[in-house]
Amino acid sequence: MLEVTVNRERRTFREGTTILAAARELGIDIPTLCHDERLAPNGACRLCIVEVNSSDRYVTACSTQLADGMDIRTASPGVEATRRTMLALLAADYPCEAVNSAREKPFHRLLDQYGVTASSGESRARFTDTRHPYLHVNMEQCITCTRCIRICDEVQGQFVWKAWNRGAETEVRPHHGNSLIESDCVSCGACADTCPTGAIEDRAVIEHGAPDTWTRTTCPYCGTGCEMLVGTKNDRIIQSLPILDAPVSKGHLCVKGRYAFGFVHSPERATDPMIREGATWRKVTWPEAVQFVAQRLGEIVATHGADSIGVLGSARGTNEENYLAQKFARVVLGTNNVDCCARVCHAPTAAGMKMTLGTGAATNSFDDIERAGAFLICGCNPTENHPIVGARIKQAVLRGAKLIVIDPREIELTSYASVHLQLRPGTNVPLLNAIAHVIVEEGLVDAATLRERVSDFEAFREFIAEWTPERAAVICGVNADSIRQAARLYAGSEAAMCFHGLGMTEHVQGTEGVICLVNLALLTGNFGRPGTGVNPLRGQNNVQGSAHMGCEPGNLTGYVSIEQGRDVFEIAWAAQLPRNKGLNLMEMIDAAGDQRLHALWAIGYDVAFTNPNAAITKAALDQVGLVIVQDLFFNELARDFGHVFLPACSSFEKDGTFMNSERRVQRVRTAVNPVGQSRADWEIICDVAKAMGHREQFEYDSAEAIWDEVRSVWKAGAGISYARIETHGLQWPCPSDEHPGTPILHMDSFPMGKTAPLKRIDFHPTTEVANEEYPFLLTTGRTLYQFNAGTMTMRTPNAELRSTDTVDISPEDLARLSFRDGEPVQLRSRHGSAILPIRSDSRLKSGELFATFHSTDVSLNQLTGPHRDNHVQTPEYKIVAVALHQLSSEPADA
Amino acid sequence: MSHPIHQPVTPDVDSFYQLAGCDLTDRPCDGTACFVAGAARCERDTRVYCLGRCFAAPARGLDRTRPRIEVHSREAIVLGRLARGGDASLVAYRNAGGGSALKKALSLKPEDVLDAVSVSGLRGRGGAAFSTGTKWAAVAKAATPDEKFIVANADEGDPGAYVDRFLMEGDPHALIEGMTLAAYAVGAQRGWIYLRHEYPFAKESLEQAIADAHAAGLLGNDILGSGFHFDIEVFVGHGSYVCGEETALLRSLAGQRPEPAIRPPYASEHGHLGRPTLINNVETLATVPWIFEHGGEAYRALGHAQSRGTKALSLNSLFVRPGLYEVEFGMPVRRIVEEIGGGLRRSSLKGLIIGGPLAGIIPPHLLDTPLAFEELHAIGAAVGHGGVIAFDESTSIAALVHHVLAFGSYESCGKCTPCRLGSQRLEKIFEGLAASDNSQKVSQDEVRALVAALRCASLCGHGVGIGEFVDSAFRHYGKELESCWK
Repeated sequence: MLEVTVNRERRTFREGTTILAAARELGIDIPTLCHDERLAPNGACRLCIVEVNSSDRYVTACSTQLADGMDIRTASPGVEATRRTMLALLAADYPCEAVNSAREKPFHRLLDQYGVTASSGESRARFTDTRHPYLHVNMEQCITCTRCIRICDEVQGQFVWKAWNRGAETEVRPHHGNSLIESDCVSCGACADTCPTGAIEDRAVIEHGAPDTWTRTTCPYCGTGCEMLVGTKNDRIIQSLPILDAPVSKGHLCVKGRYAFGFVHSPERATDPMIREGATWRKVTWPEAVQFVAQRLGEIVATHGADSIGVLGSARGTNEENYLAQKFARVVLGTNNVDCCARVCHAPTAAGMKMTLGTGAATNSFDDIERAGAFLICGCNPTENHPIVGARIKQAVLRGAKLIVIDPREIELTSYASVHLQLRPGTNVPLLNAIAHVIVEEGLVDAATLRERVSDFEAFREFIAEWTPERAAVICGVNADSIRQAARLYAGSEAAMCFHGLGMTEHVQGTEGVICLVNLALLTGNFGRPGTGVNPLRGQNNVQGSAHMGCEPGNLTGYVSIEQGRDVFEIAWAAQLPRNKGLNLMEMIDAAGDQRLHALWAIGYDVAFTNPNAAITKAALDQVGLVIVQDLFFNELARDFGHVFLPACSSFEKDGTFMNSERRVQRVRTAVNPVGQSRADWEIICDVAKAMGHREQFEYDSAEAIWDEVRSVWKAGAGISYARIETHGLQWPCPSDEHPGTPILHMDSFPMGKTAPLKRIDFHPTTEVANEEYPFLLTTGRTLYQFNAGTMTMRTPNAELRSTDTVDISPEDLARLSFRDGEPVQLRSRHGSAILPIRSDSRLKSGELFATFHSTDVSLNQLTGPHRDNHVQTPEYKIVAVALHQLSSEPADA
Repeated sequence: MSHPIHQPVTPDVDSFYQLAGCDLTDRPCDGTACFVAGAARCERDTRVYCLGRCFAAPARGLDRTRPRIEVHSREAIVLGRLARGGDASLVAYRNAGGGSALKKALSLKPEDVLDAVSVSGLRGRGGAAFSTGTKWAAVAKAATPDEKFIVANADEGDPGAYVDRFLMEGDPHALIEGMTLAAYAVGAQRGWIYLRHEYPFAKESLEQAIADAHAAGLLGNDILGSGFHFDIEVFVGHGSYVCGEETALLRSLAGQRPEPAIRPPYASEHGHLGRPTLINNVETLATVPWIFEHGGEAYRALGHAQSRGTKALSLNSLFVRPGLYEVEFGMPVRRIVEEIGGGLRRSSLKGLIIGGPLAGIIPPHLLDTPLAFEELHAIGAAVGHGGVIAFDESTSIAALVHHVLAFGSYESCGKCTPCRLGSQRLEKIFEGLAASDNSQKVSQDEVRALVAALRCASLCGHGVGIGEFVDSAFRHYGKELESCWK
């Protein structure tokens, strides 16, 4: 401990404390302009100068650490006068109208505090940008604190803002271009968030004024789970800001969390309940809609049996709502036909990891990113799809961590990678096997781990001997030496961390690919420790939660099998659980096609647009007698197949919890009232249940009441009360009120015992192959500015930043086929066709294409095929053999 | 997207420098020695603050003419070969005894080289006067899985100093040998000479010398069969005074915007590309071969109080005998002015600027102060780089202050508030005061507040130095400035 005197009072502080931190701890205000807790101290504005040991060479409080015996004066007359002098220098030539219009900005508050007036001297020709849909830039208000530059470098890792010229001529502009739109900017808004003057400001604040009410909640987009502060005014969302102490995002957000909330107030919001009458829809009251649904479902149960009905929970909904959706299916209808969109994304992860490690969820936490010495990134594109995770990985690599990227495309992270294994789509299994081969062959295994925590090594060793890098190299189209290098980097690091995404799972060998990845972690002891593990990046805010709450035909809340949980749940629910094996989503569609499914209740899930093999899906849906669509928008499913529409509200309009990729349960809170007549999903489900005679089992007065019931049936979540997750959330297992939550799984044992088995996975390639007629392999994915079905993002200004889907092609192939860059082309597969613009992209290999799937105008799933994962039936979205045709319809010469 | 640290200089960084691609032929010098010698006031956008020809000021363009070079110390440590008129070749260097220190060192342990330097009491000649032995020891003991680096700071930017220029042009092998000894002592394998753009002849000379040293087995792999590897590259700056500050220099070398950074971390632990890096000025390194050959004690025997050894000084054109002189620390400044420099040519001495304009002026009544670090510091002046600029009665203080403020503001990097905006504001104020009619009176309080902000709150020595200079003008020439105030 250090003993220091601050403003004549003696105090003790921990070593390493800065003067600024010490002062703040004591409640002493020291003015700062260039300081931001998220950034390394810069000591440039000099406003935080303090007097130490009576020296007139002042030191900056932000960058100076305490030394024993320091005598610090934070506001001596000399210091205060110097601060005033510097503020006066900054205020000369500063637009005074800016001060008047936004008095709350830190710089403006300081001018006020020190009695300095902005003098609007000479107008300076500075960078301005009014073209970006979210960011407004007027560098006449720039005081050169460089927080924008540094936050872009040190937090986002985009390096967009630069200081140009020097001395008094220094100005801040993007690295190139006349607008951020022309730069590498990813619109994360970190610069606007940190700017102390409003030189960079959210356009919404300039247009509507600053918000007056703030609500802490969790982002409704990807599964990273960033807590954020939503600013509202007159019941409208104006702003969404990062929260410094948010456990995952730590004061940062991506463009979606930060800005893409406009869909909430979209004029396209469908806010009235409606019933189809022939070709038209009739607006009805809620009681009428509920009565209609209850009556029709009752009739169908009576006529065709409960197992002729399917219920789809929603990854966009809360845990509470998904819990009720499956409870409704099982208790009210009496069927296990309940699923959610985890089926089409990470079901293989859940299954593969459950089979090997005993728990089907991420083993580690995002905080392990800063503890890892190496990353193996497989089939995911974090900087676009999980941008906060991507930014944290980039920063870790810039600080020296090693990176291996396994992806058919070059992605942003490949430029940071030591090795990029640019494999052929669909060859994860042989590639990962070859890495395992090298690890075993070169003795890079962790012997102690193999001895104590892993079983079946001998059989595995024998099996893997066949999987030489040379053999895999031929199958995967990568260099054998690169495979060796990747194996050495992964195994050679003290702690190596795997992240994977749908490039891993959406294959016929999805589950098996995940198991191969787990094998690598087991061989090298990269589990159960900080900075390690196998970590799926979940695609949606609550896809982890929706399946975990029991929207799974075979599992109840807590991922407990029906037979295992039957006794507990039958008592808790005061009901018999259905005995029949339930249908999963894909089986429901199959059943619909065979006229075995008579009703489908799709909650926040546009299955018509997002399921693969659209022609077959749509033909099947057409057979369903009752399609209940519950959504924010009148989606494709409603338009083409719906019989009744129930307007739901977004997560900004209700309370509840989401569960992120790292098993963290976090609060969702009402920031604005539900728009129009829309209601929370849980309220709608309860109303229908009550109308069907289950009042007592569905009587809840709040989301918290539902959650408390969840905790009573889910042991590992029992300790996660609302009171404990006011901020930060908790990671399960958290079985009691005293339990701190579990950031890292499997530290001492696995759920099934001390050891986990190595599994021998052979390669069974997909039958979806290219040939002369379909010469290209198309793989699909998301993009930074759009999200999944585009339901939300397409109804925000994100659409200005990325307006449509494209099919990306290597420049060689584009030139060979004589297409114009940007020209609309027709893609044909064995399963259907779609038209979308073609785009030259040097990140692709010849013979491979990449397309996004967000736009209903394109409807890319007309192309995708019928193939499914061998274990859990997740569709093979990631591979389709296609041909490219000019719109004039002559096939281009391939 | 790629790692910024490996990027070549980007347009934004390029915009920081004023001399990238600039031809210096026939360009008038805007330095302080030229100013006091009556050069026309600078109005140009691209300025050159000192071509290192202060002995022939006002100077224009490049010229290879050597100044008068003499040794006035008991031992000739850095200027001996130059004073004897030796050429820059390796043969001449060896004939004059050069190279033997390295041969001897390579047969001993690195710690022995380090010890000699520690014992010598040598302090950095770039201005900060930090103990060289302490700095070397810090780099030597810095733990790193990567290689270590050494950088010779050849960005002799202080107007008035031309010591390093002639050491590099005329005696480059002393620097190379000094760097090699330093590299051996601290365990570095690669070195750079960060050379200012204004010294193109030094570049030629250094590159030739490096090539010759390679050919003779004095650089590169397995130096003199010892197994020790070391290589040197010359890196030429693009024009910026602050690049002489070590954190800025390292950023410049890495292709980043060369702003000074707060310390710690220090270069000895986190230097070039984040690795332990030894940075020493040219004269410091050129002193090392002598120290190692003659022993630390022999060096320590020279000098005064805490300032050991000798210092090369460069005297400007207003002296009767301008030139380069090696003197022992402790010599009274008056002897430098009157005996070595021979007094002033035209009129009487009004003041002396030692160590560049970013330090206090020495007025005539303080000439008996000994030339030494602590002693000059005590009167608000500094040894700095050893540039000695005398000015006479023809120089008005307001005009001199304006000249220095124009220099300071032009060369400010712009990172910290007082230097970026304060130096410019003061420059504008003194522009009015220096005008011939001297009629625009200003508030002395405002000027004093700005000077205090510069002196007390700037991030690096640049802003502090600007403040100190103006402050010393107030202190010693207050009467002359009185007519300026409201």
